[in-house]
Amino acid sequence: MVDYGVGNLGSIRNMFRADDNVAEISADPAKIEQATHLVLPGVGSFGHGMRQLKSSGLVDVVTAKARSGTPLLGICLGAQLLMEGSEEAGESGLGLIPGRVVRFRFPPASRFRVPHVGWADVEPKGPLFRSWVTEPSRFYFVHSYHIVCKLEHHVAATSVYSSAFVAAVEKGSMIGVQFHPEKSHRFGRNLLRRFALLK
Amino acid sequence: MRRIRVIPVLLVSHGSLVKTKQFRDPVYVGDPINAVRIFNEKEVDEIVILDVTPMSADHRPPFQLLEQLATECFMPLSFGGGVTRVDDVEALIRLGVEKVILRTQPLLDPDFVPSVAARCGNQSIIVAVDVRRSFWGKRRLIGRARYESSVDPVRYCQDQEESGAGELLVTSVEREGTMGGYDIPLLHDISSHVSLPVIANGGAGSIAHMVEGVNVGGASAVAASSMFVFHKQRNAVMISFPPPETLVRELFAIC
Amino acid sequence: MTAPYCLMLAPGHYLFCRMYLDDVTSRDDPMIACQRCVMDSRDDPALNIIAGECSYCRGYRIVADRDLLSEPESSAALERVLRRIRETGRTRSYDAIMGLSGGVDSSYVAFLAREFGLRVLAVHLDNGWNSEIAARNIQNIVQKLNLDLFTHVIDWTEFRDLQRAYLAASVIDIEAITDHAILATLHRVAADRGIRFILSGTNLATEGILPRHWVFNKTDHVNIRAIHDAFGSIPLKTFPLFTTRQKKRVDLLGIETVSLLNHVPYVKTEAKEIISTALDWRDYGGKHHESVFTRFYQGYILPTKFGVDKRNAHLSSLICSGQLSRDNALLELRKPAYDAGQLRADRIFVLKKLGYTEEEFDRLMTTPPVPHETYAVERSLYERYPLAKPLRPAVSWIKRAVRSITTAR
Repeated sequence: MVDYGVGNLGSIRNMFRADDNVAEISADPAKIEQATHLVLPGVGSFGHGMRQLKSSGLVDVVTAKARSGTPLLGICLGAQLLMEGSEEAGESGLGLIPGRVVRFRFPPASRFRVPHVGWADVEPKGPLFRSWVTEPSRFYFVHSYHIVCKLEHHVAATSVYSSAFVAAVEKGSMIGVQFHPEKSHRFGRNLLRRFALLK
Repeated sequence: MRRIRVIPVLLVSHGSLVKTKQFRDPVYVGDPINAVRIFNEKEVDEIVILDVTPMSADHRPPFQLLEQLATECFMPLSFGGGVTRVDDVEALIRLGVEKVILRTQPLLDPDFVPSVAARCGNQSIIVAVDVRRSFWGKRRLIGRARYESSVDPVRYCQDQEESGAGELLVTSVEREGTMGGYDIPLLHDISSHVSLPVIANGGAGSIAHMVEGVNVGGASAVAASSMFVFHKQRNAVMISFPPPETLVRELFAIC
Repeated sequence: MTAPYCLMLAPGHYLFCRMYLDDVTSRDDPMIACQRCVMDSRDDPALNIIAGECSYCRGYRIVADRDLLSEPESSAALERVLRRIRETGRTRSYDAIMGLSGGVDSSYVAFLAREFGLRVLAVHLDNGWNSEIAARNIQNIVQKLNLDLFTHVIDWTEFRDLQRAYLAASVIDIEAITDHAILATLHRVAADRGIRFILSGTNLATEGILPRHWVFNKTDHVNIRAIHDAFGSIPLKTFPLFTTRQKKRVDLLGIETVSLLNHVPYVKTEAKEIISTALDWRDYGGKHHESVFTRFYQGYILPTKFGVDKRNAHLSSLICSGQLSRDNALLELRKPAYDAGQLRADRIFVLKKLGYTEEEFDRLMTTPPVPHETYAVERSLYERYPLAKPLRPAVSWIKRAVRSITTAR
């Protein structure tokens, strides 16, 4: 778990460890370099997240590992940072997956409020996600912004909040999930277990 | 089908679970760690822990207990009760608490919520709005140690939305522990004047009450305590939670 | 051999302690194994076999002959007892009271009580270790049978202190505190509410075989206090104790316990099916696993620290009551008593709740067992004052007279 000063990593680590995976939290580029799998967590604003990632000096090692095929899982803000940029901030993202991040917009009297907080059923679309999520699954979401992919085949899964939105993205061994698997009971646990088995 | 969050609320006093009625007369309910474990096994959406211990001025949140509770949950855990410092909010989030619930401090210090939002993000803040009716029927906001404010709750909620709150936990003091239904007019007034998610709390005794809270009260999520902790009466402590099929049929399908 | 332990012990206990304290069961003592049930001399060094029947099979047979009737006497006896319960209950708030734990036995008793048309008050004792399935089962039963429920929640900080005291004392029957609390609570509520009968789920068919040195007297409150005095750190103020005074009160009021499951043919698999269908009861695997602590105690603490596998006794009971073949019992024993993943998770949870580090707990697991009798035990008045023994017949007569007056109400 890449620690760049944003988000709570303990819960993610606990869930990995509950299935006997060796999971560590680290901000050390050398350690990150040695990992067989990387998790990029994060909560909060895109701008703040990118600035933290840059100032922690971890942008290069993370992108290098991702490009070289090391399985990388982005969670919530971490998933958004994989994209090119966000409406929320001026900073560009890591640009590993083409697409942007936009805000949920609803008419004033709508019963759909921002942020989207709560559980939603997720529909697998991409091949990797479809192989992982084999039973009807729901996950916990908390976000005001959502991902929009440039290329359809990067959409790993969708969910519905008033209308459909991208719940997960995948590209090679890179997966970004908008939801929080570490807060999603057995559904999240299943996802993390499968991710850990990815080569 | 729209999934509405159904949230058990657990009250902790001196490290033990208790349940009050109209914020009074606590009944001993047992060990919080086991209760949280049971709710986790039942795969509830989210859980709220409120520290209702009578507090001194130098009270600090029960970090050790919260760490033990957070490690029992694979779902979001929100905590509130005597959180007065931004550092404490950060510390709580670091040990696994998903959202921190703030009640009195925002009433005393209008800069508190903005400071927390800046440090930890809006999504980590729930502002608790506990409302009781005065003798003359006026709504009053209450806080720790008999603190009361005559600020209009609706106006207050709007201010808190501006300040950076992520969600609002609205509790009716008179209804709490009665299992007679939420204060629907209160919920409606607040939810129709803010665009934040509103969590209904205080009075739920059945899923029908929850449907009402959402459809008429405009709540985005429903919370309950007595209903999940007692079997009908206060001398029959029994942890329960409606099975997923029941919630789908009686709540999600109707909201 | 540590002499102080010897002085206090009855022969059976002496042998048990000898086995574990001194590792005396030498390699050249041949292990004696019963060919009827699955008990062997590792369970009890004093086990002997006469005419192909081990001491436990024999014990079961003797008690079963006495207590388990066959038709038509069995139905007649059941009718008699039910009639008594109903008639006595007519002027009272409930016909009977029963403990509900979420387990098979008590769930089946609840089902039978309803079948027999008895008005019962269900009592649940919450010791802070309820499993989710137990909570769910109780909820379903109470709802489906529309039972009145009363829960007594033991003060967790006191209970935790007691459990820690028992672990520190190194005595075998740590579950005695829960069993005791259940008895104390059932009797107290019965006495308070004027209920004359307690329906118990204890039964010969699945529990008839149990080596005495594996358990301690469940009604003994003196031993609990003594162990707590020696190792406890907070005062025991609200923990339900079945005191002498309470016992006398129960005696005077004529409160009786009826083991309903000994009055009907009790076949575990059938009972499970019935309550699953009728009451939405769900199985949790393993006897008494409605409590996470009990699961850990039976699956880890008993085998590791005391070398006891309770399954041997339980399965032997089932064999003797004709519900299970010895071959199937042996197959069952070959399975691990505890799923490795569950054990790991339970261990972390138990240590967290009881507040032990790994090292502290490991040390407790390797400390040699100590007999309960090392600490004070409950003794009758005559045991404490032997000179009063001649008065016994007269005292009994007076007690009977008083009881006939108080229970005539």
